[in-house]
Amino acid sequence: MELLLFNIFNGLIIGMFYALMALGLSLILGLNGIINFSHGAFLALGGYIAYSLTPVIGFWGALIVSPFAVGLIGLLAERVLIRPLYGRDPLFSLLLTFGLAMIMQDLIRTFWGATGLPFTIPDTLSHPLSQVYFFVTGYRVFLVVLSLFATASLFALLRFTRVGVRIRAGNADLETVSALGINIYRLRAINFAVGILFAGLAGVLAAGRLGLTPTMGASLLMPSFVAIIVGGVGSLLGSMLGGIIIGVAAGIVTTYYPAASDVVIYLIMAVVLVVRPRGLLGQEGLLE
Amino acid sequence: MSAVLVAEDLQTYYGKSHILHGVSLTVNEGEIVTLLGRNGAGKTTTLRSLMGLTPPKQGRIQIFGQDVTGWPAYKIARLGVGYVPEGRKIFGHLTVHDNLRVPALTKGRWTLETIYKLFPRLDERRSSKGGQLSGGEQEMLAIARALLLNPRFLILDEPSQGLAPVIVEDVMNTIRTMRDEGIAVLLVEQNAWLALRNADRAYVLGDGSIVHEGPAAELAADEKRVKALAGASLETSAIDAVT
Ligand SMILES: Nc1ncnc2c1ncn2[C@@H]1O[C@H](COP(=O)(O)OP(=O)(O)OP(=O)(O)O)[C@@H](O)[C@H]1O
Ligand SMILES: [Mg+2]
Repeated sequence: MELLLFNIFNGLIIGMFYALMALGLSLILGLNGIINFSHGAFLALGGYIAYSLTPVIGFWGALIVSPFAVGLIGLLAERVLIRPLYGRDPLFSLLLTFGLAMIMQDLIRTFWGATGLPFTIPDTLSHPLSQVYFFVTGYRVFLVVLSLFATASLFALLRFTRVGVRIRAGNADLETVSALGINIYRLRAINFAVGILFAGLAGVLAAGRLGLTPTMGASLLMPSFVAIIVGGVGSLLGSMLGGIIIGVAAGIVTTYYPAASDVVIYLIMAVVLVVRPRGLLGQEGLLE
Repeated sequence: MSAVLVAEDLQTYYGKSHILHGVSLTVNEGEIVTLLGRNGAGKTTTLRSLMGLTPPKQGRIQIFGQDVTGWPAYKIARLGVGYVPEGRKIFGHLTVHDNLRVPALTKGRWTLETIYKLFPRLDERRSSKGGQLSGGEQEMLAIARALLLNPRFLILDEPSQGLAPVIVEDVMNTIRTMRDEGIAVLLVEQNAWLALRNADRAYVLGDGSIVHEGPAAELAADEKRVKALAGASLETSAIDAVT
């Protein structure tokens, strides 16, 4: 029983990483029309930048600064690499982001080395909160709470701010948004950067949980795409739920049959695609 | 009278197909100009070319004396050009209020408040989804959205499409009011009689070029010509009967 709880909790945490990734991927797919294969590399970058910042500004400083730094790098990448590809065959952006992921991984290897690095979290967060449930550490609870908070902030931004409203409008009809006087180049850039910022945040949080390796993001990427499909393409809430569901499901399966914990993710996707091809919350517009 | 729009020799393509073969037209301050033509004549393409949505391969466009050839749509809109697209293009999954929060913020008399005063029906339906509105309400929403740019030039693509005759008159009244307030209007219509009754001047488009231009009243008087050139349908006489 305790083992099951342990694995469910672990699954929930991995699910949070999937959810944060899937949210960013969904945003970028929606408005920018790009399947971003470099998302995992941005996640890793977030972790590594936080690693280098921690000695200087501490964990808490790094937690805040690193995602924004990664978001800025994302902004630059959008400007220089992605922008010329809008309106072209999706194959171009697929190849480009895939290549970008490879390049970023190699850069990380060059700067920080190919072997894994430990990422230390503050003592205040590393203690178990309960004697019985030793695995419920402050950090893990913090991680879940912060992820939920970040997600809620994103939803609030999309729902209540003008930029958010325009992003939602642009998901449906970017041309009309542009005819209403909105600089869609800038709108897409902002949207891309926000998506990447979420990858960066996931990276910092994942570093404290899983440690740092250049490929840490790559292994989270595929399940995050699965999360989007399970949750329903076009629904941010769906992406989020999809991430948590497959994370927890993998955790549960680990308890009984560890070898199948990876397969179960794809099994769930297959079942969803057969039973409900539009995904759990698909078809409904963003957030509705 | 100074020109709000001067378009010269527009040549527009969709991919390889050549749609506009040298369209030229002018809209002056204080007038409603209508652009007529059969289905597929290129009316929508002309408006999209003017808005920078389907930029012409050749030709020149001046708006408010400014050369806007090759400009992206958002810059043209910000000059003060309101565009009500064919089919209205309401954001169906957004509320009425959110639809009205999409346009760029501009200075002028039209704000969310004054717009809700002008269209009380939209005020009542503030929190309904755009997709749940009736055709007439959607048309009002599309016009309201364009007005929020505080335009000095309004471009409308078939605003009467699919609306009941009474509602069509409402829409036309709104458009005339705008003209009287100093907004120049370029109006594309399937319904030639309706457009000619409300416009000052008219152009007729046939297969991608202008085949007629002149005062609206003059063209309206030539019933045969209107029927032949603009493809005026029986349904339009029905509207005349009602109004
Ligand atoms: N996206 C497109 N791709 C290719 N051809 C197009 C496209 N849009 C329109 N066309 C073609 O361009 C021509 C002009 O179309 P346009 O929509 O401008 O006509 P219209 O006068 O507005 O017609 P309607 O009265 O039906 O709205 C038509 O032959 C149409 O088939
Ligand atoms: Mg048309």
